[in-house]
Amino acid sequence: MYIEEYLDVFISGLTNGSVYALMAVGLTLVYGVSRAFNFAYGSFYSLGGYFAWVLMVYLGLSGGYLMVLLMAVPFLIGFGYVTEKVIVAPLRKRSDWEVKVMMITLGLALFLDNGYQVLFGPRMKSLPPIMTGAVELGPIYIANQDIMIFVLAISGILAFRWLLNNTRIGMAVRAVAQNPIGAKIVGIPKNRIFAATFGISTVMVGLGGILLAQKYFISPMGGWDILVKSWVITAFGGMGSIRGGLLAAFILGMLEAYVGYVFGMTWVLFALFGVLLATLAIRPQGLMGKWG
Amino acid sequence: MLTIADVNAYYDQFHVLHDVSCEVHEGEVVVMLGPNGHGKSTLLKAVCGLLDRVDGTITYKGQDITGWSTEQLVNQGVIYIAENRELFGDMTVMENLKLGAYAKNARKKEKRNLARVFELFPRLAARKKQLAATMSGGEARMLAIARGLMSNADFLCIDEPSLGLQPNLRTEVFNIIKEIHRQGKSMLLVEQNIPQIADLADRVYVLEEGCITFQGSAEEAAADDRLKEIFLGM
Repeated sequence: MYIEEYLDVFISGLTNGSVYALMAVGLTLVYGVSRAFNFAYGSFYSLGGYFAWVLMVYLGLSGGYLMVLLMAVPFLIGFGYVTEKVIVAPLRKRSDWEVKVMMITLGLALFLDNGYQVLFGPRMKSLPPIMTGAVELGPIYIANQDIMIFVLAISGILAFRWLLNNTRIGMAVRAVAQNPIGAKIVGIPKNRIFAATFGISTVMVGLGGILLAQKYFISPMGGWDILVKSWVITAFGGMGSIRGGLLAAFILGMLEAYVGYVFGMTWVLFALFGVLLATLAIRPQGLMGKWG
Repeated sequence: MLTIADVNAYYDQFHVLHDVSCEVHEGEVVVMLGPNGHGKSTLLKAVCGLLDRVDGTITYKGQDITGWSTEQLVNQGVIYIAENRELFGDMTVMENLKLGAYAKNARKKEKRNLARVFELFPRLAARKKQLAATMSGGEARMLAIARGLMSNADFLCIDEPSLGLQPNLRTEVFNIIKEIHRQGKSMLLVEQNIPQIADLADRVYVLEEGCITFQGSAEEAAADDRLKEIFLGM
């Protein structure tokens, strides 16, 4: 293997890692704020991909990815918000609601995935590249598509960070995560915050779907792989730690790229779980986790 | 201003308050005394919408507020200041204060209230960027009170403001509460310390085993031999 190939794989790992980071942060957000585990997270990834496919390929709308993003963000926020209000929130008052939320979101995932199969057929769909061409950087070429995916994923994470630190709703989200009773005392409507975080996380994973579908296709069951990877990243980085999730996403993105290149894609999940198990054996709380 | 009539309250399955009735008039500081675990905090929580089950009637400014959510009550000017403070530990003093003004009616007056709070608590003004979790007990208590004031409330329910503080800090906290009172706020305050409240309270109630067993002025309470025995062991 030549050095150029290593660099190519490195770029691929960096690109995928950035999108994984965006998605893992969304999963950590919901769990950190409301302790709800969303089994339909992967299906929301596919939702983003199919939404973009319908607009760009099926309807053939012009306007490119800018139009797709402008329409997808409100659609995904609304979808996540309503989903939380309709199926998750009513369970919260019951005993063992955490388990019931897992069950109902699992049901939702199966419903959505089968819905995709009925609506779009089992065949894989792909999205046109956001940008063609490549940048020549000495011995290697970097596809403009990869650069754009990386830039958009990182922008998504930065936008999320800005939202969390500088807006009233972002501060309320952090308040509920840190001290639910304190949040209640100052008059923060907890239920609306739960729904809002669900909406925000749906945008993050849906955006991931739109970005990665350009390289890896969309299929009705394609979200499960993403759910597993997001979950592995979250556990590896540490539950509730956004910084840990970011670090884990890039480490695992790289690992995936190199293992896939050297040993073949079939070994990727094996390697991811191997690293996860080894890490958790030594550090049960993950890289930067707050909870054991 | 606040009238509590025949309130029964439950904590999980435990029946904690039995037909409790009391009231706080406009501009008054009313202190609820009583031994630990006899329902004082539960009464405050019942008022502030923090319990699942409350029977009876609570009226505030002539309005029946029984069963209202905390969010609605905060917006109407009733705020709870917790005994264990319930601050946002990983956030700065400033962020904690801003969150205190989360309620709709508080947002418009955020700037004015912030200036007032910093005037009242110069220590906090000097530590705007400190994380709440790294503050000392006394500072954290002050931040909890300051955060409560940010809600623009007229009525403060303060749960044991002196708990766990050294005597000098205790005096400081009580002086600040007196100043807040002078600025026109009404309060229902839960305490165990008689000597400190004597010159603060307009009226005193005693709550024992979930029932009101005494009511009167602060002087009457201080002169009552039985109360002395219970709270001071004299």
